[in-house]
Amino acid sequence: MSDPRFSRREFLGLIGSATFVAGCSKDRGEIVPFTKRPEGAKPGVADFYASTFQEGLCAYGVLVKTREGRPIHVQGNDRHPAFKSKTSPAAIADIMGLYDPDRLKHPLMDGHPADWSAVESKLVSSLKDQSVLLVTGALLSPARRALIMDLKKVLPGLRHVSWEPALGDGQTAALQDCYGSARRPRLRLERAKVIVALEADLLSGGRTEEIGGFASNRTERSMNRLYAFEGSVSLTGANADVRVAWRPSRAAALGFALARELHQAGVPWPSGVDSSSLSDFSLEGLDSGLLRALVGDLKKSRNQAVVVAGPSLPPQAHAAAFLLNAMLGAEGHTVDASSSVAEPLSGSDAVAQALREAQEGKFGAAIFWQVNPAYSFPDAKLWKAAVAAIPLKVRIGLHEDETAQDCELVLPEHHWLESWNDFETAEDLLSLQQPAVGSLYETKQAEDILLDILRGLGGGAPIDYRHYLMARWQREVQPSGSLVPFESFWSAALHDGVCQRKAEAKPPRRLNGSAVNRWAQVAAQSERPQWELLLSPSANLFDGRYANNGWLQELPDPVTKLSWGNAVSMSPTDASRLSLEDGQVVRLSASGREVELPVVVQPGQAPGVLSAALGYGRRTGSIAQGVGANLFPLWNAAPVAVKDAGRREVLAFMQRHHTLEGRDVVRSLAWPKGRLAPRKDLASLYEPRKFPKHKWVMAVDLSLCVGCQACVLACQSENNIPTVGKERVLKGREMHWMRVDRYYEGSPENPRILMQPMLCQQCDDAPCENVCPVAATNHSDEGLNEMAYNRCVGTRYCQNNCPYKVRRFNFFEYTAQTPASARLAFNPEVTVRPRGVMEKCTFCVQRIQEAKQAAKVRGRPLQDGDIEPACAAACPARAIVFGDLKDSTSRVSKLTRSERGYRVLEELGVKPSVTYLADLRNPPQADAS
Amino acid sequence: MLEAFWQALRDPVVRVVCAATAVCVVLVVVFVGWFTQPDRLARGFAPTQPIPFSHRLHAGSLAIPCLHCHSGAEKSRAAGIPSVEECMGCHRVTKTDSPSIQKLAAVWKSGGVLAWKRVHSLPSHVFFDHRPHVLAGVACQTCHGPVQEMAVISQHMSLRMGNCLACHRDPRPALPAGSTIVRAPENCNACHR
Repeated sequence: MSDPRFSRREFLGLIGSATFVAGCSKDRGEIVPFTKRPEGAKPGVADFYASTFQEGLCAYGVLVKTREGRPIHVQGNDRHPAFKSKTSPAAIADIMGLYDPDRLKHPLMDGHPADWSAVESKLVSSLKDQSVLLVTGALLSPARRALIMDLKKVLPGLRHVSWEPALGDGQTAALQDCYGSARRPRLRLERAKVIVALEADLLSGGRTEEIGGFASNRTERSMNRLYAFEGSVSLTGANADVRVAWRPSRAAALGFALARELHQAGVPWPSGVDSSSLSDFSLEGLDSGLLRALVGDLKKSRNQAVVVAGPSLPPQAHAAAFLLNAMLGAEGHTVDASSSVAEPLSGSDAVAQALREAQEGKFGAAIFWQVNPAYSFPDAKLWKAAVAAIPLKVRIGLHEDETAQDCELVLPEHHWLESWNDFETAEDLLSLQQPAVGSLYETKQAEDILLDILRGLGGGAPIDYRHYLMARWQREVQPSGSLVPFESFWSAALHDGVCQRKAEAKPPRRLNGSAVNRWAQVAAQSERPQWELLLSPSANLFDGRYANNGWLQELPDPVTKLSWGNAVSMSPTDASRLSLEDGQVVRLSASGREVELPVVVQPGQAPGVLSAALGYGRRTGSIAQGVGANLFPLWNAAPVAVKDAGRREVLAFMQRHHTLEGRDVVRSLAWPKGRLAPRKDLASLYEPRKFPKHKWVMAVDLSLCVGCQACVLACQSENNIPTVGKERVLKGREMHWMRVDRYYEGSPENPRILMQPMLCQQCDDAPCENVCPVAATNHSDEGLNEMAYNRCVGTRYCQNNCPYKVRRFNFFEYTAQTPASARLAFNPEVTVRPRGVMEKCTFCVQRIQEAKQAAKVRGRPLQDGDIEPACAAACPARAIVFGDLKDSTSRVSKLTRSERGYRVLEELGVKPSVTYLADLRNPPQADAS
Repeated sequence: MLEAFWQALRDPVVRVVCAATAVCVVLVVVFVGWFTQPDRLARGFAPTQPIPFSHRLHAGSLAIPCLHCHSGAEKSRAAGIPSVEECMGCHRVTKTDSPSIQKLAAVWKSGGVLAWKRVHSLPSHVFFDHRPHVLAGVACQTCHGPVQEMAVISQHMSLRMGNCLACHRDPRPALPAGSTIVRAPENCNACHR
């Protein structure tokens, strides 16, 4: 080339780029600014809306993070007095419910799309002068309740049943009987020194407040003691200081026997309790030393102790727990009923009664809102007969689900992220729900549909539910005589998401002694069946309402680590007697109904006890359909028979090895004397790395972690992590950047269970970095093990060389498989990774960068606590602490120096940046008396 | 000599080797070319915009500060494009007889959208943040060129990593006098995550 304008290098470049440019369009897309920019909306800056997420009898205060108008992440509301910036895993994951591509997008009439006006005029004309059955879930909302009362005025034949199919009826019955009111007390575990859980899972993912309270007393300074008596293995049992495998049919007997022992130890009976009714209970099978310790602990702690019976137990067990709490004086201390409210919840009996009446032709119409009885009502025959006899069935819901298929009118409602509402979980605390996004489809808020009915039937009603809600708040919530204009009061309440108010002090509840005596007699007569089946709402899917959520289907069960399906857990003894092993299918039958599902042999399960999660086996939903088995048909059914069905199912376990093999990956100490072996300084051939400004590290306190996996979901939401499905989980190709490992230690009959959150350890001498042929992963000068996706060529050497197995590889183009609506949930601050690329935890580097810039904009240096990775922000136990090691006063620096601190696989010399604090357990001393 | 070559080419192994060599050569050329492509190929990209907005008039003659319209640059990762309403802040009264302004007003009244053509575009794995650059005092023109002289906005600098790194390694020429900054971050996570 003689042309002086080109060098040889440029010529080569020109040819290369010309080839590419020829194939590339010059168009770089469009930028569409706001036409009218809403006040405060800044493209690129996240907005937070305070709202409320309801599940069953719990209303969680949340903050919804939105970007460019799209909700992308849900976290706890820091102004909520009970949840204190934490929330339930389901709330975090239900952002996928908003973007679910299966959502109903318009109303259906007789299975065909229809428009709202036609549907509603048909609805109003058919409801007029009819007796109507309205079945809803728990309302928890004073405005909703008021609306239904208003509806009753124009529709005198309205019968309202509120029903939570997966919550047991035992507690409500016992509360009614023993206290005369179904007000559910709040458990104040932060005040409890001794906790006795009878088949009660206090620490499952949704129990955010209880986990927080429990964890606040699990440090060196103050340790509570948790006794768990349970037939199945729950997170409560996994975290207990003493776990006893105990059949649920004997839980009531245990409670009453404990009360007797406590009385013999000098604690007086509450008035009205007759000790003669408590004489027959035996404590056969309970170690006498343990009994002494337990009674001693209870007696010593008195009102700092609490006994809790689980929702799956019958009323007599709850009565026993009430009796024990009354003897201990727990009322007003650890059991706080001072401001609790009663949710008028009907049991499945009331639903069955209503359906029987419907079968007789008593109802002209039925509306099913928030409930899916075609799936969750146990008696399918009764349901079919009842719907056949009701002329007009209406389903108000998010999906065309099982019930919708039986209904003439299907009315799509707003998701909670598109809705207005208020919730009352205590008399002194209201929380508000506000839309974080406009409605995505042609849906309506369910309350607006009811208001339309109200208006159509001649009742007066404001133009929409928001105004209904505001009018009610102006009337009843704003303190009368307040000088603040209502608009300011309302916007302050919306901003905070919660509104605290003064409640009248109620006289303490009084335990009705004779009711307790009656229940004790019931307990004395209860038999011990051969098999006991414990059904509980799934830790992930609850009663099946989240079954179409891929995140929650893929999240493994916290104990069995089974994803994509449910199984019946069986004790190793029973399994070997019946020669069953993991994955073999059994047929459970009771009351003429049968369910087939695979077995999981569960170490620690009490012999004779079968347990399984509800919420699986849905018949509709592109994700939910056919995953697992529906156990609602066996709800409250007895006696249960078990038979080998002679086939196998493949189970997608996310953890395949369950013991530590004597290695000290998870360390556990007996409080208060236990100490870790002194650390040996390891020689290294590498120069120590230098970190000029920051050194990001993490500390995970295993004593606080209960294993609820809220962190896993928060990480998934924050970091655009795809789900891969059962088939690929079976190949070990799940994508979770963070997992919680669960280990069993000791005998399979009652092992100790240890939990350990595991994520990229951001090693200073990272073995993954050395083997990357293209330097796609390397170390930053702030201690982060960085991943440059655009450089990665997918050799997977790094994954093979990682001792912690935390690197994940995109075997497929998962984003292409993500439905368009679900892509709206992507966090725009994190790259969406393509096929062939390795990925892993980044310590939420996007949050680090954002915090740095925000500090810069404010003109101040970074402070401890400015940066919170998604996992740490979500952890209800506050077990995860993140920060700068260069700041010697930061919380994480102090924890890193803790005597309990150790690093996993430190002997490899990789210098991990995550310090684990050894688990503390507080078992009673052998000589306790 | 040539005949011998044709002779050898009858052997299928030789054919495959020759074909593979040819493909490799082309690949290497393309690959090397892509990574060494000169800046000037990316420069000068100036698509026709829906409204012939002139930066020379607004930023040059009228000397409206950049941040007046691109206010996001101090507060957000994205500098942002002003909303139609912000344009109408002046153009409700200014130059209302121009057909382009009438087009703008029509969009504003109807609540429709005004889709500008993107000029500066970064790959999705790059997370550029305007804030630290603006706060450090880097002039907008350092990367965007003499915008105040452009009647039609066009790309001035190729936004390739080499250009970013060159400045991050020695930012002093881009910084105002007296700035204490001597180096900007060069680790991957500074821009990729």
